[in-house]
Amino acid sequence: MNKRKLSGAEIIWECIIREGVDVVFGYPGGTILPTYDALNKYKDKVHHVLTRHEQGATHMADGYARASGKVGVAMATSGPGATNMITGMATAMMDSSPIVCITGQVSSSVIGSDAFQEIDITGAAIPVTKHSYLVMDIDELAPTIREAFYVARTGRPGPVLIDIPKDIQNDSIDYIYPEDELILPGYHPPEDISEDYISKFATMVNQAEKPVILAGHGVLLSNACIEVMELAEKSSIPITTTLLGIGGVPDSHPLVLGMMGMHGESWANHAIQDADLLIACGMRFDDRVTGNLKTYSPNSKKIHIEIDPSEINKNVKVDLAIHADLGTVLRHVNPHIIKLDRKKWLDIISGWHHDSKRRDILNIKSDKLLGAQVIRKIWEGTKGDALIISDVGQHQMLEAQYYKHDDPRTLLTSGGLGTMGFSLPAAIGASFHEKDREIWVIVGDGSIQMTIMELGTAMQENANINIAIINNGYLGMVRQWQQMFYDSRYAETPISSPNYVKLAEAYGMNGYRVDSLENVIPTMEKVRKNSGPSLIEFKVEEHEIVYPMVPAGADLHEMIQRPWDEVNNNGQKQEKEKVK
Amino acid sequence: MKQTLIVFVQDEPGVLSRISSHIRKRNFNIESLVAGRTEKKGITRMTVVLNEPDKTKQQFVVNSLKQLIDVYDVIDATEIDSFIREYALVKVAVNEDGKDEVIKIIEQVHCNVIDGNEDAMILELTGYEKEVESAIKALEKYEVLEIVRSGEMAMVAGNFVAHKPELTKSELNWSTSRILESF
Repeated sequence: MNKRKLSGAEIIWECIIREGVDVVFGYPGGTILPTYDALNKYKDKVHHVLTRHEQGATHMADGYARASGKVGVAMATSGPGATNMITGMATAMMDSSPIVCITGQVSSSVIGSDAFQEIDITGAAIPVTKHSYLVMDIDELAPTIREAFYVARTGRPGPVLIDIPKDIQNDSIDYIYPEDELILPGYHPPEDISEDYISKFATMVNQAEKPVILAGHGVLLSNACIEVMELAEKSSIPITTTLLGIGGVPDSHPLVLGMMGMHGESWANHAIQDADLLIACGMRFDDRVTGNLKTYSPNSKKIHIEIDPSEINKNVKVDLAIHADLGTVLRHVNPHIIKLDRKKWLDIISGWHHDSKRRDILNIKSDKLLGAQVIRKIWEGTKGDALIISDVGQHQMLEAQYYKHDDPRTLLTSGGLGTMGFSLPAAIGASFHEKDREIWVIVGDGSIQMTIMELGTAMQENANINIAIINNGYLGMVRQWQQMFYDSRYAETPISSPNYVKLAEAYGMNGYRVDSLENVIPTMEKVRKNSGPSLIEFKVEEHEIVYPMVPAGADLHEMIQRPWDEVNNNGQKQEKEKVK
Repeated sequence: MKQTLIVFVQDEPGVLSRISSHIRKRNFNIESLVAGRTEKKGITRMTVVLNEPDKTKQQFVVNSLKQLIDVYDVIDATEIDSFIREYALVKVAVNEDGKDEVIKIIEQVHCNVIDGNEDAMILELTGYEKEVESAIKALEKYEVLEIVRSGEMAMVAGNFVAHKPELTKSELNWSTSRILESF
């Protein structure tokens, strides 16, 4: 191995290139200047994307990581640059997304003196990262970066922060990349464990009469899509997914019931409540999917396959807990599963299915465009084949209900943290992996305005993304709660928007406005011919409500369904009280 | 019921705040926390006492602490035969008349006088938390000027080697060498 004298800044680039990184999302500043200076030498190997805000950089790294399965990298300066990353790191933490955030820090000699743009980001990042490092010795730099990538992508993936003082970036040493096997004494991603569970698992499945598979994000993270479908098909087990599990199993498959939980499909929730066996695959029984824990699936035995042991028995007590990689477990278990058709159980579920389909909002003839219709049209227009990045709110739930995903990693959304403003930057990040796929951002008028400055990044990078703004003039989901639980006392939920068409034009992209159902597909066709980013504003019905809904803390089967009169009157909805 | 944890962590700056921050994040209360060096360089051993009666939650805090990269191992001493002890210093004001009585109490509760003059004495107490507690109670008859308590420390009884972090010693490499070379 040749020794080379390299600066800390050069070592940073050498190491991340070794990790296979070819795109970095960041924003320069005082304490990270040496690293940006060194970037000039590595420009042929790494593409740097200049964001408009450091939060955007973290979401881009996150979107890239979710789309590709690789580690995303974000870079920022110290102080405000670093604190702006906290929301992005927390988003990645809650959704187990592997990102590495590299921040500059004031010189090691002045750390602790409240120097200009100094902040203890290593400490501040503790609760929102898998781990955080402060590099105080250049000898530790390469080992730390290597360790950080390893920690970010293994086990349950997550964000890792590396804080590097300016003098460490300027210092230089003889650089040798550490090649040995990496062993961290305090870190044990699960290995292939004992196989004691196989017969118990198989027996529970084979003896169950009303089993349901709960497919979470772990199905995607473990690349276990085929194994989960094999289990389901062999034993005819219906599958319902979490929000982040969407795409892990094909939505068009007859055994796939769709999403569960607060805004999940009612038949999926009924199936869970009525089941005698739940097979939880890489999910964590979040309060948004369980509703009231005391009445959650009361008669079922529960199997939980989860890579993070601290998730087991955290919210729901299970009968068989398997702390291991999901794909590995199912490869062991599937050969022991007996073929069954479970006709009786599937018929019961179809009954529920039929009932709620009649309440579907798509049956309503509304004079105004509905958000749900727009999303269904986008699904039709893209033949279900696009990469969708949704934001947070009503449109996110409508997307989950009305866009059917058949392929893994075709829906990226902020599930756990529910970070408004995630979608636009995440889509820009994802576009660096999905170069040939059509990409659609589905975003509300509230969410887009949280990170709207990233339109500039999208233009500068000529990112091939289409932005569909579902504009109902409200912070829709909050308004829905005010409507349902606060007696329609709307407090600060009406929100104004800029002229999005002009805004798009100001940024130099094509902007369109659509307010009728007939124009959705033709406008989409126009947009698809553009290269680079385009924007469509959909003016939709203001008072649309996402049904069904399980109120927070209510029993999972106590869903509020769309009222029959809304469906029967075919859109002749009573005029809702207008808000001043 | 209290839960006593023995936590082995990497001895490095900020590790205490990682542990305490994580416990706070998970909504547990720390009753006491003692940290110190061990027989192995590079490893800090903590005894953390939590006030959490729920068994499921007790298991959760152990599992979630183990997920931290700096944590080598966590042992729930509540679950196994172990010795849990506390140390305290108590400064008592005395006058000539009361001195004999204080000394009587001292004999009853097994404590040492480590400093004393006409006005005040510093007493050193060790034992189970309850013993220390009752000794302090007994001394409260007199004017207690100051108390400092260590918090509880735990050690597993018997074959304690089984309750130590398992570190891979076979393949030394750059990342672990700085820890392992001290073994």
